[in-house]
Amino acid sequence: MTAIAIPIQTNQTAPRRVLSVTRLHFVNKWQILYLPLLILAFIFLLDLAIWWLILTAQSSTHDRHSAEKGLNFTGSIFYIYVYVLIIAIQAVSRTFPFALGFGVTRRNYYLGTSAAFVGLGVVFSAILTAGSVIENATGGWGIGGHFFTTAYFHDGSWGLRFVIFLLLFLFAMFFGSAAASVFVRWKATGLTVFFGALALLLLGGGALITLNNGWLGFWGWFGEAGSLGVALWSLVPTAVAAIAGYFILQRATPKS
Amino acid sequence: MTTVVEVKGLSKHYGRFTAVDDATFSIEENRVYGLLGRNGAGKTTIMNLLTAQAFASSGSIRVFGESPVENANVLDRICFIKESQTYPEEFKPKHVFASAPWFFPNWDAEFADRLVADFRLPLNRRIKKLSRGQLSAVGVIVGLASRAPLTFFDEPYLGLDAVARQIFYDRLLEDVGEHPRTVILSTHLIDEVSKLLEHVILIDEGRIIVDEEADELRGSETTVSGTSAAVDAFIAGREVLSRTGLGGLASVTVGRLDAAGRAAAAAAGLELSTVSLQQLIVRKTNVSEKEFEQSK
Repeated sequence: MTAIAIPIQTNQTAPRRVLSVTRLHFVNKWQILYLPLLILAFIFLLDLAIWWLILTAQSSTHDRHSAEKGLNFTGSIFYIYVYVLIIAIQAVSRTFPFALGFGVTRRNYYLGTSAAFVGLGVVFSAILTAGSVIENATGGWGIGGHFFTTAYFHDGSWGLRFVIFLLLFLFAMFFGSAAASVFVRWKATGLTVFFGALALLLLGGGALITLNNGWLGFWGWFGEAGSLGVALWSLVPTAVAAIAGYFILQRATPKS
Repeated sequence: MTTVVEVKGLSKHYGRFTAVDDATFSIEENRVYGLLGRNGAGKTTIMNLLTAQAFASSGSIRVFGESPVENANVLDRICFIKESQTYPEEFKPKHVFASAPWFFPNWDAEFADRLVADFRLPLNRRIKKLSRGQLSAVGVIVGLASRAPLTFFDEPYLGLDAVARQIFYDRLLEDVGEHPRTVILSTHLIDEVSKLLEHVILIDEGRIIVDEEADELRGSETTVSGTSAAVDAFIAGREVLSRTGLGGLASVTVGRLDAAGRAAAAAAGLELSTVSLQQLIVRKTNVSEKEFEQSK
């Protein structure tokens, strides 16, 4: 029997290692791509059916008109953000221990995972943007419905919409992955403390605004900043979550 | 001979609990090691430390000459299969085998296919729905087909039936023969893997109590049986490790016998038998417990 020695040097380079992790997240495309889009399409069709039912039920033109106004706010699109948040949580809590068993460093895992998040965000944002452009062009699918163009930013160029969609996706994903990192590192106790601290922080912020009679200014700021401004400001918590997630995972041990 | 792992004064504490206590050992290239010990002895912790999944409290670890912590050059050459491996949500075995080559440069897809057939693993079933044995087979296949220069198997056989376990042992033995690499196997089915192991590291309560060649270890104890009178005469002046008796018959375990000792035993009409690795390990572990009690 001839002994074939295993080569010690590998041809792996740092970018390839990171890319392997990114690919790992997409190996099961059904779960990460097709299923959420399928559900989104299903919700969209449901909404169309509901709009049509509501509008056909109105007898007078006046009633129809006021009903159409009501179609301005559906919020159905919010579903995909929740789905993406869950994807991010599952990705970190389940893929992290798996990837480490495959000999991936925590750093490469995090970089590859972040790239996967950005990639997924770009794909979903492009689909939502395309949907919103078609929605405008068809006058709300012929019945004045708003699915992809939410009340807050339905006027604005498609480029602007894309950026806003993407920024919100990034927030959902990095917030989810930061929470999952806390879980991977400190388990349920850590998560309880994390959400406790977050609740205190939000309460503290709310109290500060209330005590300074600042609510008017607060909402005014939302108006002034505009949808893009608000979305850009979301980069601050997104960046904080992304950086915190990185450092939390650096010292995490996957537990069984 | 090249040393692939070098551990000095390694300790790992979880709060007040010491999982690994001042361990010092080394692992030589292209051999099969058994990391043995009771449940909770510290086997998994040692593997977690060597693969940089956990962080040492003190001491030093060198794998391929470098610290493994966040070291891609080292971790690229490691495959760690654990009994309790988590898989990504909704993964199927086919997803595991599709992604494995991106992480293991030596991955042999043909070998993996053969193993899938050997273990009769359904590739297209969700991992959540696999039986315990099939789940273990996924890990075993990755561990074998990855051909990582340093492969860890932490109790990889849970739920595998006797036939599947034998397949695992046979394939491992064949494949390390053709593609030499270092394998560290933790198990408590000691007799089953006895033939496979070239070197044994026994750990108990976080401390390394045996670090010896398997062949040396196997010959280190012998059981002498015969009539009580003949056995008593034979063991005079020898250290007795254990003794059982039934009526006029006795069976005594003594330390290593030299040629003269064997001849004397044969002359006295005594029967000699080697002590199995498992029995040996059980006794060594018990002894260490007694010593531990005394030292308290």
